[in-house]
Amino acid sequence: MVKGIAVSPGIAIGPAYLYARVSFDVEKRSIDSKLLKNELVRFEDAVRRSERDLKKIISITREKLGENSVTIFEAQMLMLRDQSLYPEVVSCIENSRVNAGFAVQSVMTKHRRMMEASGSEYLRERANDLLDIQDRIIRHLRRGRILSSVDENSIVASENLTAADIILFSRRGILGCVTDFGGPTSHVSIMARALHVPAIVSTHGITNEVKSGDILILDGITGEVIVNPDEETLAHYVNKRERYSRLVQEDKALVPLPAETLDGHHVGLQANLELREELVQLAEYGAEGIGLYRTEMALLMEGRALVTETEQFSQYLEVVQAASPAATTFRILDLGGDKMLPMGNREHNPFLGWRGIRIMLDKMELLVPQLRAMLRASAFGPVRILLPMVSSIREVRSFRAIMDKTMEELAAEGVAFDPKVPMGVMVEVPSVALAADQFARETDFFSIGTNDLTQYVLAVDRGNDLVAHLYDEMHPAVLQLIQMTTKAAKAAGIPVSLCGELATNMRAIPVLLGLGVETFSASPIYLPGMKRVIRAMKLSEGQALAKKALIASDPAEFRAVMDKWLEEHACGVSFFLDGKHSA
Amino acid sequence: MIEREVIVTNRAGLHTRPASMIVRLASQFRSEFFIQKDDYEINGKSIIGVMTLAAEQGATLILQFDGVDEEAAAEALALLFEDGFGEVK
Repeated sequence: MVKGIAVSPGIAIGPAYLYARVSFDVEKRSIDSKLLKNELVRFEDAVRRSERDLKKIISITREKLGENSVTIFEAQMLMLRDQSLYPEVVSCIENSRVNAGFAVQSVMTKHRRMMEASGSEYLRERANDLLDIQDRIIRHLRRGRILSSVDENSIVASENLTAADIILFSRRGILGCVTDFGGPTSHVSIMARALHVPAIVSTHGITNEVKSGDILILDGITGEVIVNPDEETLAHYVNKRERYSRLVQEDKALVPLPAETLDGHHVGLQANLELREELVQLAEYGAEGIGLYRTEMALLMEGRALVTETEQFSQYLEVVQAASPAATTFRILDLGGDKMLPMGNREHNPFLGWRGIRIMLDKMELLVPQLRAMLRASAFGPVRILLPMVSSIREVRSFRAIMDKTMEELAAEGVAFDPKVPMGVMVEVPSVALAADQFARETDFFSIGTNDLTQYVLAVDRGNDLVAHLYDEMHPAVLQLIQMTTKAAKAAGIPVSLCGELATNMRAIPVLLGLGVETFSASPIYLPGMKRVIRAMKLSEGQALAKKALIASDPAEFRAVMDKWLEEHACGVSFFLDGKHSA
Repeated sequence: MIEREVIVTNRAGLHTRPASMIVRLASQFRSEFFIQKDDYEINGKSIIGVMTLAAEQGATLILQFDGVDEEAAAEALALLFEDGFGEVK
């Protein structure tokens, strides 16, 4: 069994198709002058096939993700027959008498180098589009047909996939995909969720474990990949697949219903988002606003550190309008830690280093345009601003001062904004939970980030295989910090939500409500399942379970308690919590 | 041959979407089409060319048309620029 991160839920069972997404290095061959014509025909043919790929990609993208998302692919389409590229490849084949593949590679590489060498980050990013079409043409030249060999009922295993790959594969009707690299918030993961393709990323080597034709089971709920299962395992997963699809059908009926416990307590269910492509999911899964809008992705996709205020404003405006009348919670840029730093700094201990608000308070040229864009968007619908990686109250005060000054400037310029925009902090560094009453007096809301909180409290890097088993988001110490946070919030009368992965853990939901969490924020696709648990419980039951959880010394024992509780209360969701062994 | 001077009015400048619009529109005409910015000239029917202009809001460009339908081409392209590519100004 191989374990990765489940990024798009569902069960897929089928033969593996190993997809090589590496840039080919084409060898130079001399072509006999009599055969040059043939080489030109091959080139035109590969271009035509690439056009056909892109046409499909564009039509699926338009249908599933909306008009705004097709721009990049339409530009790639134009590049295929670009008036400077295409004739240059033709004359390279004719004059240098070389094979089409080599001509494509050398012409495109030349143009790419020029774009990469230019000072513009924008052009450097476009060089990637050129590389994309270069790969596409060369793959068509090499194997004639590439994608038709991806069988309809196969599971794609690859080192990495692009958004274009997964769009095309979903059109081919693949069952699922699994990659060596990538993370839950990478573009391909977001696409997989939008297209309802079960997906697992970050397996660290699935492509070494499987050959094309091996039977694979992808459990997009637990992140497990099973290669060539025995009959018993296969039967188990066939059953799990059926039950899961029934559950998804039932979940659809929950979307319009309120998230309310049996004893009448309303629980807020909000969305974690980061791309405008995901905005359609707000209504699809019944989210009450956006509890966490991460701003890193839009920035990294643009491929440059300084997206202008105007560009940010137009993005944020679209988001605010989609979520309105519910609120959008924008998180200030959270760079550092495991996220690439555009400044290219390397640190020995990045998780304890320069990240989140620490960077932003040092980099006014990043902070001020972003803050202005967020404030301007607040004129068009409710906005909240969330600070990442806060560890001391001084940071809150510095930020508040900058925000006040920015508001004064906007007012002086006559630009509209909401002067009462709430400012909250992420509770992810333990010091904030421990001094939560102090923070509650100077901020307007709390958002608990359980992933980082857990790693900081337990001193465990869960990406490190040697210690990953010590990572436990339901450790009593973590739960105590959550409780301190909710108590302080309640005493000060400010809202508190939880936006980590823990929010989607069925075992944790009753406990977290019992600890005083009022609102959850998660990837929209998980919201109906969370609602199922909430609607099956009483708050008082959650409080009793929380009491037990706070003193549970053995995680396995407490899991058994929760599994039993879920089995009795929540319509059999416990079946989906783990792999084979919990069935 | 005719020339038109235009200004990039949309906020985001000639990024991917406007560049595609220019190339697609220009390709519907038979006339040759070049764009000049400062001392730089590119083929206006080449997406790579238009992208490498990296023209930002406020930039002044010279559009140059040469061919049988140059009048109509100039008219259409100038209108596209004036309109700010249908984006926020």
